[in-house]
Amino acid sequence: MPAAGVVLIIGVVLVIGAAAAFLLPTIAALAAIAKGLDEAIAAVGELVAKTEPVEPVVKDINANLDAAVDALEALLVKKAGLRDAMGLIESLYPGASAAGLRSHPDSGTIVPPRISEVYTRGTLTLARLGREAPIATASPEGPVLRHVARSLAATDALFPDFRPREVAAMPRSPVIGTGAPVRYEPTYTPGVRERMPGGGPGGTLLAMDIPRAAPGHGDHGEGASD
Amino acid sequence: MTLYWLGDAVLILVVAPVVIVLLRPVLAAAREIVGHVHAIRDAARAGSRDLDAVPLLLTTQAQVRQTVETVASFGGSLDVIIDDA
Repeated sequence: MPAAGVVLIIGVVLVIGAAAAFLLPTIAALAAIAKGLDEAIAAVGELVAKTEPVEPVVKDINANLDAAVDALEALLVKKAGLRDAMGLIESLYPGASAAGLRSHPDSGTIVPPRISEVYTRGTLTLARLGREAPIATASPEGPVLRHVARSLAATDALFPDFRPREVAAMPRSPVIGTGAPVRYEPTYTPGVRERMPGGGPGGTLLAMDIPRAAPGHGDHGEGASD
Repeated sequence: MTLYWLGDAVLILVVAPVVIVLLRPVLAAAREIVGHVHAIRDAARAGSRDLDAVPLLLTTQAQVRQTVETVASFGGSLDVIIDDA
């Protein structure tokens, strides 16, 4: 065999060997890729199966929460009025009134009363419960009444005689405790009385004729936030 | 005979290097893809494990319903007790 033929054979063997040296690991890598993709597809299949029931459950939860939010917003607006409701929201969550109420799209444009600047939550509650409370008669535009640093001067300016003269003409607030004119016997079932005051038959609380405040007695409380 | 030698030279000096130059990046890319595929597999497995808590949503759903019912009852009572604005 001529030398050139030998060299040719050696050259072909070299080329084939080089190709095999690179192609065999490539084949092994492609096999590993195929195996890894199979495992990944199986895991993704589990993901899909596990997330399938999420949407209806979350939609149901959101629907319930939406209903609760709508009901509470409606109750707040009904009881406090839209403007005071925005003031209350602003007092509890500063900055939240800008978003407005969902059922009242224009409520975000309302300038909330400065309830949060002047009154604490407890004071505001007292203003709502005791309609003749002094803070309920003042305008929020006036002097600060319950501010920690300025409360004394503002109160003195509001009541220079210490006690308003017209208080004597106002009906008294209900008396609570042992000196109360109407007392109920203790009950073991909430809302149900075994015996009504005066010896009458028992009944549920909702069926009772609950005395309401005299007209005009509770009108001053609205001034707390107007 | 000269052509044989010329062919041998081309085979050894041109064809073999070209084969090596072409196959080397193929092998590198294949090995790199293996790592990415394994990363995808691990991420999918981790995501699947994270979703093992999905059945708890049913408990959340039931509790939300109970809470909303309680809030509705409480709101109804407040509606009766508190005067309107």
